[in-house]
Amino acid sequence: MTPDRHGSAVITFPNELEVVISRKFDAPIALVFDVLTKPEHVTRWGATAPDRMTECSIDLRVGGSYRSSFVVSDGTVFSISGTYLEVEPPVRTVETWHFNCWPDVEAVETMELHERDAVTTFTWRLAFSDQAGRDRMTEFDGQQDSLDEMGEILASLLGSS
Amino acid sequence: MARASTTSDVFNAVGDANRRAILDLLLTGEKAVGAIVGQISLPQPQVSTHLRVLGDVGLVRSRAEGRRRLYCLAPEQLRPLRDWVSSYERAINDRLDRMEDYLVELQRQGGHSDT
Repeated sequence: MTPDRHGSAVITFPNELEVVISRKFDAPIALVFDVLTKPEHVTRWGATAPDRMTECSIDLRVGGSYRSSFVVSDGTVFSISGTYLEVEPPVRTVETWHFNCWPDVEAVETMELHERDAVTTFTWRLAFSDQAGRDRMTEFDGQQDSLDEMGEILASLLGSS
Repeated sequence: MARASTTSDVFNAVGDANRRAILDLLLTGEKAVGAIVGQISLPQPQVSTHLRVLGDVGLVRSRAEGRRRLYCLAPEQLRPLRDWVSSYERAINDRLDRMEDYLVELQRQGGHSDT
């Protein structure tokens, strides 16, 4: 039996500077680690059609760098890049995170894997150096709980349709 | 993120804690500026400025009643926000769904050959 994990990511804002997303996969930890950190795998799932992944380089060692670039349908290029700070296959990598559209934002990304009973939990954590950075991630969200707060407002205004 | 660009005005308008507080107050019904000033600790000129911003993006409507102006929510304009929150979540899950599909495909092929 394979539990359906589709669409089940848990997104949380544990404090003012972080965004954490976790998701379970029915796959061994070593395979999930490879799929996250090897370009030949990342290029297979990294972009949503019609977006295309045009660049994917990963030098997986402390001090090594990575860069992923995407072209979206209107021709805009998005790039995520950084330098590895910690590399511990198959459980953890920590790296700096730069997004070309937000040049003023500094962040550190942590990817952690944990396997139990043949299910691997992937936890992606982005920690911004200041709250302005995290607010870019959530745009209108100026407070830790304002996503929830807005959710409540929206629910009361619009119903659950 | 980029998805929000066409509706960024609405996002901007609710990106301010004071404006969200005003929206919260208007949830309970139509109010004059004075009633809003009485319930949040901001001077009237600032409240009026916030109401103007909210009015400009269509989140708040106003009407004259005698010498007063009454403000109320235009909730249909919040729909882009709700859509954004759900699309943000959906975008993340779409990406992870693709990763999962790929993992399933790799495992069906009988494990992966490494390095």
